[in-house]
Amino acid sequence: MKTYIKSIILIIVITFTSCSDVINVDVPVASPRLVVEASIDWQKGTSGNEQSIKLTTSTPYFDKEKNNKVQGASVKIINDNDGTEFIFIDQKNGNYITSDFVPVLNQSYTLEIIYNNEVYIAKETMTPVTDVKNITQSIEDEVLEVNLMFDDPKDIENFYFVKFKERGDLFPELFYESDEFSDGNEMKVVFSKEEDDDSTIQELKPGSIVDIKLHGISKRYYKYIRLMIDQSESDGGPFSTTPAPLRGNCTNQSKPENYAFGYFRLTQVIKTSYTLKQK
Amino acid sequence: MKKTILAFIFFTSLLSAQDKYTISGTIHDVSNGETIFGASVFLSGTTVGGITNEYGFYSITAPKGTYKIVISYMGYVDSTQEVILDNDQKLNFELIESSEQLDEVIITSGETERVNIKKPEMSTAKLKAETIKKMPVVLGEVDIIKSIQTLPGVTNTGEGSSGFNVRGGAVDQNLVLLDEAIIYNTSHLLGFFSIFNADAIKDIKLYKGGIPARFGGRVSSVLDVRQKDGNNKRIGLTGGIGLISSRLAVEGPLFNKNGSFLVAGRGSYAHLFTDAFKDIKGNKVKFYDLNLKTNYKLSEKNKLYLSGYFGRDVFNFSTSFKSSYGNLSGNLRWNHIFNDRLFSNLSVIYSKYDYELTIKSAEFDWTSYINNYNLKYDLKYYLSNDLKLEFGGNGIFYDFFPGEITPTSLTSPINYRKLDEKKAIETGVYLNAEHKITEKLTAQYGLRYSAFSRLGGQTLSNYKDNQPVVYNSALGIYEEGEVVGDTKYKKSETIKSYGNLEPRVGLSYQLTETSSLKAGYSRTAQYIHLLSNTISVTPLDVWTPSGKFIKPQLSNQYALGYFRNFKNSTYSLEIEGYYKNIDNRIDYIDGSDLIGQNTIETQILNGKSRAYGLEFLFRKNKGNFTGWLAYTISKSEQRTLGDNVAGPGINDGKWYSTAHDRTHDLSITGIYKLNDKWTFSSNLIFQTGRPVTYPNGQYQYEELSIASYSDRNSNRLPSYHRLDISATYTPNNKPNRRWKGEWIFGIYNLYNQKNAASISFGQNLETGANEATRTAIFGIVPSISYNFKF
Repeated sequence: MKTYIKSIILIIVITFTSCSDVINVDVPVASPRLVVEASIDWQKGTSGNEQSIKLTTSTPYFDKEKNNKVQGASVKIINDNDGTEFIFIDQKNGNYITSDFVPVLNQSYTLEIIYNNEVYIAKETMTPVTDVKNITQSIEDEVLEVNLMFDDPKDIENFYFVKFKERGDLFPELFYESDEFSDGNEMKVVFSKEEDDDSTIQELKPGSIVDIKLHGISKRYYKYIRLMIDQSESDGGPFSTTPAPLRGNCTNQSKPENYAFGYFRLTQVIKTSYTLKQK
Repeated sequence: MKKTILAFIFFTSLLSAQDKYTISGTIHDVSNGETIFGASVFLSGTTVGGITNEYGFYSITAPKGTYKIVISYMGYVDSTQEVILDNDQKLNFELIESSEQLDEVIITSGETERVNIKKPEMSTAKLKAETIKKMPVVLGEVDIIKSIQTLPGVTNTGEGSSGFNVRGGAVDQNLVLLDEAIIYNTSHLLGFFSIFNADAIKDIKLYKGGIPARFGGRVSSVLDVRQKDGNNKRIGLTGGIGLISSRLAVEGPLFNKNGSFLVAGRGSYAHLFTDAFKDIKGNKVKFYDLNLKTNYKLSEKNKLYLSGYFGRDVFNFSTSFKSSYGNLSGNLRWNHIFNDRLFSNLSVIYSKYDYELTIKSAEFDWTSYINNYNLKYDLKYYLSNDLKLEFGGNGIFYDFFPGEITPTSLTSPINYRKLDEKKAIETGVYLNAEHKITEKLTAQYGLRYSAFSRLGGQTLSNYKDNQPVVYNSALGIYEEGEVVGDTKYKKSETIKSYGNLEPRVGLSYQLTETSSLKAGYSRTAQYIHLLSNTISVTPLDVWTPSGKFIKPQLSNQYALGYFRNFKNSTYSLEIEGYYKNIDNRIDYIDGSDLIGQNTIETQILNGKSRAYGLEFLFRKNKGNFTGWLAYTISKSEQRTLGDNVAGPGINDGKWYSTAHDRTHDLSITGIYKLNDKWTFSSNLIFQTGRPVTYPNGQYQYEELSIASYSDRNSNRLPSYHRLDISATYTPNNKPNRRWKGEWIFGIYNLYNQKNAASISFGQNLETGANEATRTAIFGIVPSISYNFKF
């Protein structure tokens, strides 16, 4: 609901916008921070044993060389209930993996990272997800779009994170949803692509394959990913929100000011894909 | 309070000598019968004089004798008459517009310079609608709000942003009055144009500081816009045809010339802008307004006025959504003259702002509004030539309806929901004196007492430790407090009350015949707030009252100024410095979520703001070339500490620039009358770019490059500058022809400067590299419009 209202302001602004061009801007440079992409996504119906965590560092905004993989860190997740430890093994390429993780719904876990002699801690709970009900395609303003439908469980607060990506594309499109205004109803998330004259980006067409992920997420992660998506889609114009620091849940126990970017999330996820048919 | 006022009047009445008599009356324009606000009335060769009020009324008192009374008003021929003053008398005057109207000062104090220098009023600016029409504007659309931005101390957050900022204040801190009715949103099309139709407007006056005690409710400024009364001599037509919109106004006498009316309409052309979008068919963007005014003279001592405004913006994007919003206001006024010294006005005023939104794809409607009823009684007592008193009071009843969501079909994913409606009453009483203490020292001092009650009839959440917002020190973020129950307030109950004494003082000391020093102090309180966490306010932003969780904003402003006229008032110079601080300015936590938010208190912190600056205004008032140079150097900042919530506050509790801080703001406006047919005008604007927040790093997350940001508003857009020109051509200027037309040709942004309205940061979709994209709104924009009078 809120996404709709926000997008309206954007559309209206775009209507008036006459010209835009890419320019050089001097931006400030902050010192690098550890970035934790600890997305423990448990595909519904699988054992969820194999998991990986990615560690990098932040870089100056316009840097193209991204030689920022973190090696030599020690990474583990602890089940807060029984104390089971899952050690993630350094792959020397920024990835840390395990193949014996045991996911338990609604169980709280702790992530512990030791990097440069500093201890980073994060806590989260494994959040369940509802089933996908239907995936359809439709046409809006002559543009093909994919609709993902699912039923929101009634009387409980639910939050969702949805990722669409057309196979072969460089970037996914991310969506957040909450049931604040639609508790217990059928929810719909719509994905379409806009053709851009300045690039080779094309609309969805018959034969396009779209990979879809539907995650059930915690309220705290919802707030995080909402701000992240809003800020990355902001046009910086007069009706956009003043950007704010994006604080995840990875705290630094040794030096609190050296908190890490990124997030330790535990979600149940449904992975599926959809092939577009003739109009 | 009332007793004190009466006692005061009684006491001061005794002081005035008994062998004095009073002349009072009303001053009109001979051509259309419009009353004239700010005309000066003098007894030649004496120091006795006065100024007409908003209704053209004056009253002066002098010892018995024979005098020559002189009425003068900029742009009009002086009127003189001999008076033998041996009893109280009533004298009405009609002034003739001078034929050299174009030579007139564009921005005049509305008074003869002699009085201007002496009057303790400072920090004000007045514009006449006639002259606003001559200034170059984008797409030829006459715009009052844009015109006042060429004055020192008035800015906004850039092209296409709503509202205006006065002396570093926020948009919601301006009290905007259209015939006394509160206007909640001054913009059409999100700020590209203003809601004021120049054909319906008589004059506007902006109080940047030194706000008189009769105004209350906002901490930054008062923009007092008055509609024309309507021609009571003959039927007349005024209108204009422009690129964006057309205007038409009809006015004329009513009730055997005991009254008059004015009806003015303006509408934009449908399919505006959007036709340029080939791929989006059937989209409409439009706006329109309707102004209405009528008055009826019941007797010499009683006059009724009825005025109204209705304006709307409509955005209709055929398949996806429809949005419409606008203001509605009405005012019934009764002017009553008790006697030649006591003038009164009673007003009953209604205003409403609402917006509606229909999202077709998600199948729901969203509506929201704020409305108020205002009963107001103002009196002016002309006690003596040295002392005039103004007193009165008002009461406003507010109804805040922050939002209602209704599904439009059975399959809609949205559930019906209504956010809590809020009600409140704001009252104020005031007494103000304008006092000539010595020949050189004049003072204006007053006191306003304002009170605000948030009424019951709703349920409020209770929070643990009474903290709607808490600081999560582990994660370093502010978040919602824990709800530990709620309190139901009955309709008869008051949730919370506030009261504030607001002293206002202005002093003017005449240094020489042509120069003076002025000083002012004003304290103001503001009880309602516009919730907006975007850089510029949007039409969807919601007003909210003070109450249990939100305190009223309180401001102190200090100003000092030097005023001087040169060469028989051909030139004038005004220099003013100001400092103001505002307590209880709402600030928003990082990632605050205001849309459809029922518990606003969980998203905000209590902060402060302050602003200071120096303003210069140098004007050339007479001759074929007139114009002004306005320069302001200023700072506008805010600070939000963690205080009772704990934590570092916003931006680590440091002072940071507000979104509308502009260090330098220069504008030069010139108008040159070549001959009776051609007049040229030009604007040059230079401003420091607005504060923005740039990224200071990036990292990979979910396959995307995510920007990390530096402190709020710690960077700036590049400086903004542009030059506009316009030419007015008046063909066949035969004095006897009733049809008078003029063509206005304009070029906005003559050298096509690509001023950044925003710079956005993101990834190139093909290469994945981060890049900065500048968006410029208006490049060079030529325009043509035709105005006529009949």
